[in-house]
Amino acid sequence: MNAPERALSFLLDEDSNEQKITYSADTKVSNAGTFTINKEDHTVANLLRMQLLRDPSVRFVGYIHPHPLIHRIDLKIQTASSTVAPIDVLQSATEDLAGETDHLITQMTEAINKWKKENQSGIGQFN
Amino acid sequence: MSKQRDPKIEILSLYPHEIKFILSDTDTSIANTLRRLMIAEVPTLAIDLVEFHENTTVLNDEYIAHRLGLIPIKYMDLVTNRGIDCNGAFLSHTECSCEHRCPRCSVEFELDVNFDVMNVTRPENERDLPMSVTSTSLKSNNEYVVPGHFLNAEEQNEAHDTGISIVKIGPGQHLKLKAIARMGISKEHAKWCPVAVATYRFWPEININDELCSTLTHEQKQQLVDVCPDRILELDEVSGKLVVAENAWELATFTEDLKLLQETMKKRPEDDDFVTVEHSQDRFIFCVEGTGAMDAEDILMSSIKVLSDRMLYLRSKLDILKENM
Repeated sequence: MNAPERALSFLLDEDSNEQKITYSADTKVSNAGTFTINKEDHTVANLLRMQLLRDPSVRFVGYIHPHPLIHRIDLKIQTASSTVAPIDVLQSATEDLAGETDHLITQMTEAINKWKKENQSGIGQFN
Repeated sequence: MSKQRDPKIEILSLYPHEIKFILSDTDTSIANTLRRLMIAEVPTLAIDLVEFHENTTVLNDEYIAHRLGLIPIKYMDLVTNRGIDCNGAFLSHTECSCEHRCPRCSVEFELDVNFDVMNVTRPENERDLPMSVTSTSLKSNNEYVVPGHFLNAEEQNEAHDTGISIVKIGPGQHLKLKAIARMGISKEHAKWCPVAVATYRFWPEININDELCSTLTHEQKQQLVDVCPDRILELDEVSGKLVVAENAWELATFTEDLKLLQETMKKRPEDDDFVTVEHSQDRFIFCVEGTGAMDAEDILMSSIKVLSDRMLYLRSKLDILKENM
């Protein structure tokens, strides 16, 4: 009776004009801000966080999934200097991840084709 | 310094229902994201709406509708006869511009089984027994879409039924319904889950400190070999040295036994261990088993494509956000 619609955990709510990503700059800390990404969970948030940690211009990055029934994540980023804004590092992180995923697709297709050629019947085992 | 990683994939075994592979040169977050996507966000087809015309069976309408929803539905590649990714072929019903449903976003199945009518076709000795209504009775209106009756030929040979059993009917009972299948993801309902199991484990990094091991007696080394329930260590017959087993990566289960035994063997507690077994930080052994709706390699490809689309979508939203700042 009170159960929310399951589809709302991954579809944006059009009635309330929900935006996918919003940003609010941190008032107390310099070069920092929080991105609120709606209808996402650990799947994407942890990926972005670990990628951002590889960026030398990022001083701090962390994310929160406030509650399993609340479908959004808050990703807080602080950059090391004012020349680089948090949104820039996040953009480059998504770029890098998109590139890595394309790489994975080609690697995957190559590996499968190589396997199928080596085991012509399509069924076999390694070693 | 480029921040983009360069992952590598090596396939260990590939069957229609299962794929095992090694993912390396990348972070645990990628491995976990792939696992979560395969379980929750790969789109598949499953029966979503059922219209009952006739149901005089022992199970009520919603019970049968629930069972129908759980039947794996295959989108077939008629050339290779494999279940493939349905993501491009169908639209999700929220995106489709039709009013209720259309062939672009849904597939209709019909089922009409009447015990008295079908009974005459059965052999004489079986005519008194109840009849199983199975997934083979579902007739699709789309030639590319069929229910997945069995996982593989082995299962089919061992089974008693002709397909997935829906309900058993007896004399005078009749089941007639129309079922509509739609595309969806497992986040909405588990019936859309394409995998039975999608897991990964860490590659074990086993280091044997030869210097310290040479201070051990033969019996002590044999003790170290025997204490591991997963048998990852071996004693080389010729040299008497401790070596790692050939297929240790397959067997390792990261138990505490080895560590605890070494605590008792060490001269001082702060000494280094003779043998250490650690999780690798960038090499993972994946095992993905499908339910029969899609071939395992297609589940994997679909999950990587879902990730790619998600990254591109987020990037476009970020571009808009930056413009409006």
